Amino acid sequence: MIRAALFVCLFLQGQATEAPRAPEVVELLRSGLDDETRNNLDEAITAFRKAADLAPSDAVVFFKLGEAYMKKRDYVSAISPLKRAAELSPDSLPVDQLLGFALLAAGYASDAIPHLEKVQAFDALGIAQLQVGRPGEAVANLQKALEKTPNDPDLLYYLSRASGALSSQSVDKLLSAFPNTARGHQALGQNYFAAKMYAEAANEYQRALALRPDLPGLRLELGQIYAASSVWENAEKEFREESRSQPGSAEAAYRLGDALLQEGKMKEAAEELQRSDQLLPNMPETLYELGKATAVSDPADAERALGRVVELEKDTFLAGQAYLALAAIHRKQGKTSQAAHDMEEYRQIHSVISHLPE
Amino acid sequence: MTRRDLLRLLLSLGLLPHEAKAELESESFFHVGPLKGVNFVLRNSPTSQKRLIETMPGGVALLDYNNDGLLDVFFVNGGLLRDPMRSPFTFDRHDPLYWNRLYRQNRDGTFTDVTEEAGLANAGDANYGMGVAVGDYDNDGFSDIYVTNFGKNVLYHNNGDGTFTDVTAKAGVAAGGWSASAGFLDFDNDGRLDLFVTRYLDWSFQNTKICGAETATYCPPSEFPPATNILYRNRGNGTFEDVSVASGIAAKKGHGLGVAFADYDGDGFVDIFVANDATEQFLFHNNGKGTFTECALDSGVALSENGKKPSGMGVVFQDYDNDGLPDLLITQLPHEPYVVFHNDGKGSFSAQELETGFGLLSGKVSGWGIGLEDIDNDGWKDVFIVQGHVFDNVETYDSSLRYKEPPLLALNRRGHFVKARIGSEVPVAGRGAAFGDVNNDGWLDAVTTSLGERPQLFLNRGGKLHWLTIMLRGKRSNRDGFGARVQVNGQVRFATATGSYLSSNDKRLHFGLGSAQTADIEIQWPSRIRQVLRGIKADQFIEIEESERS
Repeated sequence: MIRAALFVCLFLQGQATEAPRAPEVVELLRSGLDDETRNNLDEAITAFRKAADLAPSDAVVFFKLGEAYMKKRDYVSAISPLKRAAELSPDSLPVDQLLGFALLAAGYASDAIPHLEKVQAFDALGIAQLQVGRPGEAVANLQKALEKTPNDPDLLYYLSRASGALSSQSVDKLLSAFPNTARGHQALGQNYFAAKMYAEAANEYQRALALRPDLPGLRLELGQIYAASSVWENAEKEFREESRSQPGSAEAAYRLGDALLQEGKMKEAAEELQRSDQLLPNMPETLYELGKATAVSDPADAERALGRVVELEKDTFLAGQAYLALAAIHRKQGKTSQAAHDMEEYRQIHSVISHLPE
Repeated sequence: MTRRDLLRLLLSLGLLPHEAKAELESESFFHVGPLKGVNFVLRNSPTSQKRLIETMPGGVALLDYNNDGLLDVFFVNGGLLRDPMRSPFTFDRHDPLYWNRLYRQNRDGTFTDVTEEAGLANAGDANYGMGVAVGDYDNDGFSDIYVTNFGKNVLYHNNGDGTFTDVTAKAGVAAGGWSASAGFLDFDNDGRLDLFVTRYLDWSFQNTKICGAETATYCPPSEFPPATNILYRNRGNGTFEDVSVASGIAAKKGHGLGVAFADYDGDGFVDIFVANDATEQFLFHNNGKGTFTECALDSGVALSENGKKPSGMGVVFQDYDNDGLPDLLITQLPHEPYVVFHNDGKGSFSAQELETGFGLLSGKVSGWGIGLEDIDNDGWKDVFIVQGHVFDNVETYDSSLRYKEPPLLALNRRGHFVKARIGSEVPVAGRGAAFGDVNNDGWLDAVTTSLGERPQLFLNRGGKLHWLTIMLRGKRSNRDGFGARVQVNGQVRFATATGSYLSSNDKRLHFGLGSAQTADIEIQWPSRIRQVLRGIKADQFIEIEESERS
């Protein structure tokens, strides 16, 4: 809205060379502006409306009336005067901007888009495009908006929604156009997985693998399905295959290490997790699992790995877990004061994260 | 020694080839079926209202109530829940369908229903049944029965003539609210059994809720306020004093379901572990002065290995790796492995579910009653768990899960657990489990309960390996010898009937001896008297009376 007000000034300046106004219209405009400044929006609207009756071809008057409605958050009422202003002044960017905002706020996203495109209001444009089912364009425009304000939570929220919608749209297209391809089965498998239908998901991945056994990532995802359903032996097999075909994949090594850990194969798990750490250093999850895998066989290694987790994570849930694991190691070593310190750190983190909304 | 026994022995020594190991593990360990003469059905009365109590019962006890040397069985029933339920909220426990039941074992292995003649038919109309604890609280040589309920709990004194008397009012142990597992212990070593009662949560017909988005189901415990547990001190005159507050037990509120006792730090005083559902677990360290300090977090047993709060349900507090220290094994809900807390000594524990292979056995299943017993008599205690999900419609939430699950047997291979064929793949909504040698053949059996179904007897097929079963008879200590630390050929058991879920085990202490034909026994009684017996012949039941001095 602040940006809109700036445009209003520019708009008024731009209109200064137009035909002179009748004195009573000028008086009503001044009165309306005074009321608007004092936030007496109903009085301002009355004054601007009277001015509009007296000067039905004055774009400025209609713009001010629409703007007063916008300030009052009466977006539906703002649309009509702003549309009239746009008819009278078709090249005015401030009018297009405000009309675009009004239409979007009132739910007319598709009508808002041409006006927002004209003024390149990427934030509102991206939101409007998301609402009319054009997530691809929405993602592009929201990313442009985020370049200017990278930490805007609203924009980040809409970008995540737009990305999800884009992904879903792509999957729908893939499934309808190419249902019997490897990618089609993979996409369907992902849908089943999201619905916790693990047997069906695994079945789709098996079909995908039958068609394209060399497709990178398929076995990784299939392994994750087995992991989610606690069939660790199968998960290990798939992660191992993925690691074999993708020896540079830190994630495949991490997943394999995790599966081995769940199976109690600590030595092998530690080897894979160390390999993952070498491929992609400083991943807290990898280091935490490495700490678990080596806690009994090599407590010094475990301490190092868990120490790196708390350095990287500071006060997250994972850091709390790492302190718990460190405390267990230190207790076992008889280092009671260190264990007490670990538990104190755990409690501090826990007291913070337990107050966060879930 | 049979080929199977030889294989078992070699396996326990780590000397068995892979093929032979597969052969051995393909055999089932139990004959599974109903108890002959038992027509009890655990009636939990599931309703569309998804009242939490209806998915939680019920307990079973193995006890020799008439001292004839044969184990008898006591079952706790749920009650009738109407749909809808109107005040006054009663459960029709006067109807024989909803009675608790006591079955006396006959010499031929059949059972006779003696509920009515024993005076146990009246469970109390306002009581929805949960669990059972057994102990000789008045040291008269006859086992007494304590029944926990949603409502008021009931203490039945064993009159010694085959009948029981409801002494709840006199004893002052009715509690109230929602009690779950309970157990007798002598926390102050005064030679009289005290009583510990877990309480689940503050639920009532007024604050009941239905959870679930599209499909209604039972609410998680976090939807209801937590509750305190109760400790009753035995005054020795047939009455108990509620010392929950004075002892520090009531200082902690949780969602208690399971309870187990052991002296984990060897200070001579029995400690208490409470398995809480989706809350930090509680370890009440006995300070020896009538007070307890809850120390689960600092001892490493409050949270699972990944830092989450376990959905603790059943628990056992015994030594699985034969290092002489009691460890904790806890059953819980799926997608989190069953928990093993290894006792590292000096009062601290570490999670070992991955190293022991125990975690690998769970994952998709939900566990309730649990026993750590030497099923194959090889000298290592094995794990038996009854399973089944809390939600009777869990399949609609997660197609990989099942409401009914078969029970689990995992053999202990020198501290590593390996799944074995139990003898039944029939899925049930398993809940309670009690362990004991039902047919006195030296091989441990189990009796389990399932919601809406008849109980099952898991009768051990047996073998030729050796065993020894010890019945303690305390003199200065409590007569049941609860709290004694008994070591036989290096293995240790902590004398108790408490553990599992809502259930009470045979109080006799069973030891598998492998190929050993004699045993050396060392008993550390709660009175601190140390008693040693050497060269005791294997394959017998032996009663050991507490000596006058060490």
